Parts: sequence; C-alpha cells; structure tokens
Amino acid sequence: MPKVKAKRHSVSLDMTAMCDVAFLLLTFFMLTAKFRPEEAVTITPPSSISEKPLNTKDGMLMVSVSPEGGVYLATDDQMAREFMLERMANRYGIAVTAEMKKNFMASEIVGYPLGAMRQVLNMKPSEAKKLSKGIPIDSANNELSYWVGYAKLSNPELKVAIKGDKESNYKVFADIIGTLQAQNINIFQLVTGPENKPK
Amino acid sequence: MAEIDSSGGGKKGGKKRSKKMSTKIDMTPMVDLGFLLITFFMLTTTLAKPVTMQLNMPDKTDTKETSPVKLSETLTVCPDVDKVYYYQGIPTEAGTVMQVTNYSETGIRKVIADLKAKVGSNFTIVIKPTKKAKYRNMIDMLDECAITNNKRYALLEIDPDTEALIKRSGK
Repeated sequence: MPKVKAKRHSVSLDMTAMCDVAFLLLTFFMLTAKFRPEEAVTITPPSSISEKPLNTKDGMLMVSVSPEGGVYLATDDQMAREFMLERMANRYGIAVTAEMKKNFMASEIVGYPLGAMRQVLNMKPSEAKKLSKGIPIDSANNELSYWVGYAKLSNPELKVAIKGDKESNYKVFADIIGTLQAQNINIFQLVTGPENKPK
Repeated sequence: MAEIDSSGGGKKGGKKRSKKMSTKIDMTPMVDLGFLLITFFMLTTTLAKPVTMQLNMPDKTDTKETSPVKLSETLTVCPDVDKVYYYQGIPTEAGTVMQVTNYSETGIRKVIADLKAKVGSNFTIVIKPTKKAKYRNMIDMLDECAITNNKRYALLEIDPDTEALIKRSGK
C-alpha cells in the first residue's frame, strides 16, 4: 500500500475577492453620500445637548441668520415656494417671467430685499449670491413678515425652524421672534449642532 | 487575476539571484484601508445631522391669566458675551445685587442648581439677554436650563431697570 501523500495547502488566502467587495462598498458610499447643499452664507449653529433630530418630513420653513445678521428664508415645500413668489411679486407689482420663476425655484434660499428681486431673478442663481444680503426685517419695512405669512397661507402645517450662526447678534433673533409672534407663530425649532451631555 | 509581477521591485540584487520570487502580493493592508474608509464614510454620513431644541413662546393674543410667578421665586439671568449677570428679586429694589459669573460648569449651572434646591418646584428662570449678547449665548442659557432640568423659564427683552442694574454693578 503506498503512503498517502498529504497535499500541501497554501496558507495565504486569496484576498482579491474581499478587496473587490471592500472597494465596491467604498465607491457606493462615496457616490451616494449627499453633499451639503451649497449655501449662500456659511452658518455654524451653536451646539446644544438636545437630542431631537431635525424633522423635515412635514415641511419646514427655515429662517437662517448669517454671522453678519442677514436673514434668509428657505423652505422644502415646493408648492409654498411657488405660492410665495407669486404673491410677493404680485404685491410689489413685479412681472414674473418664466425665466425668473425658473431661477427662483432653482435657488435654495431667498435672501434679498424685494427691490432687488427682479435683478436677482434675472441672473443665474450662482451669480446672484453677491446680492443676497438678507431680507429686511426692520419695523419700517418688514418683508420677512410677508414671506412667512404667504408660506403659512399656502401650507399652515409648515414648521418654523430658526438656524442662527453662533456669532450672530441676539437682537436679530429677537426681531425674528417678534415678527413671527406677530403672526401668532409661537413654536420654533432652534437648529443646533449636537453636543455631549455633561455627567 | 490580481497577481502583480513583482520581479522589477524588491532588493537590488534580486535579479541576479535565482531564488524564485512569489508573484502574489499581500492584499491585507489594502483591504484594511478599504474597510477603514467604508467605516469612516458610514459614520460621518449620520453623525453630522443637526438637532433642534424646541422653543415655545407665549401666545400674545391669549389674554387668559396664566399661573402667576412670584418674583422671589425667580432668578433673572442676563447672558452677555462671555459672562452672565444674574440677580434675584426686583431690579428696582435697593437690596437687589447684580452678580456676575461665567458659562462654565461651576458658574451659572451651580447658581441655578443651588437656587433651585432652595426655592423648590416653583423656581423660574427669566432670561433677558443683553444688547451685546450673541445668539450662541442665548442657546447656551437655554441649554443650561435643559441641563439643570428646568422647564420653567421665560425669554424676555431686557428692560431699562435691569440695564441700569448691570451698569451700577460695574462688572
């Protein structure tokens, strides 16, 4: 009887397949990762220990405050956006062309006085950034009040979120709260960054 | 398949030697790197989600009398840029002293906790940010209320009496 020769197995494993899977997943995650939408101004909100995530399901009306105190408005409700443009243009006698409407719907935020609306909306959204200095909210000319009013008229379910930069002045925030309270909006979601709870 | 001819690399004298070099390359570090990056992307996509704190303001049109708050049971805090003014009681009274502290753990948090233990369940915090205060300061203050588990707080505009008190304290 001949001796059974044990076949020698290689101890090194073929990693090619594993490597393939790893890089496939890597590519997938890199491609599907959503980039932050480009903002006209960079806003760094302060952090808080709150753990409630921002709920954007039922429509959100976001009032942002830049470090310089400019007020910007954004909403994810497309119907409300269209309605706002229509009513605001109507109110101030601005004829809206199809091109202007397209530019309005393409831009994420509203952040200019109505006097500059025609000029801004005739530019490409990327070019119009320089003119976006904020919506006037002073008592003599409170345009934010109208914007919010029309948005709420279109969709009363809209939740109001306020996203202020941590270095923005408190006074701007107080003015916004005052404007919104005048319209009987009393519940605000303050957007903050996450922070660890002490202890 | 994924074998790489490594005869060109390696030691300088490798060519002369007749020792047979393995044509397989060790892929372990590459796989390690791959999975490290996957983990990184997976974690960062969920970590940066913003959170919200809800702020309820009283309805101005609602004239119904709500539960009265005794001034002696309140602590008035005035967040400023890097310090917090606070006092207890009525600002116009001569005995009221404006004190100052900071946002640290041993600062305003301790003041609130101590007074809350003294006053009891009716303890109310009145927040009156100064004119110079930043938005961050107000959020910090609301955060302190949440940390010390105070649900009774009010956000008000600063009044001339309180401003005068800050000025008088000279801090």
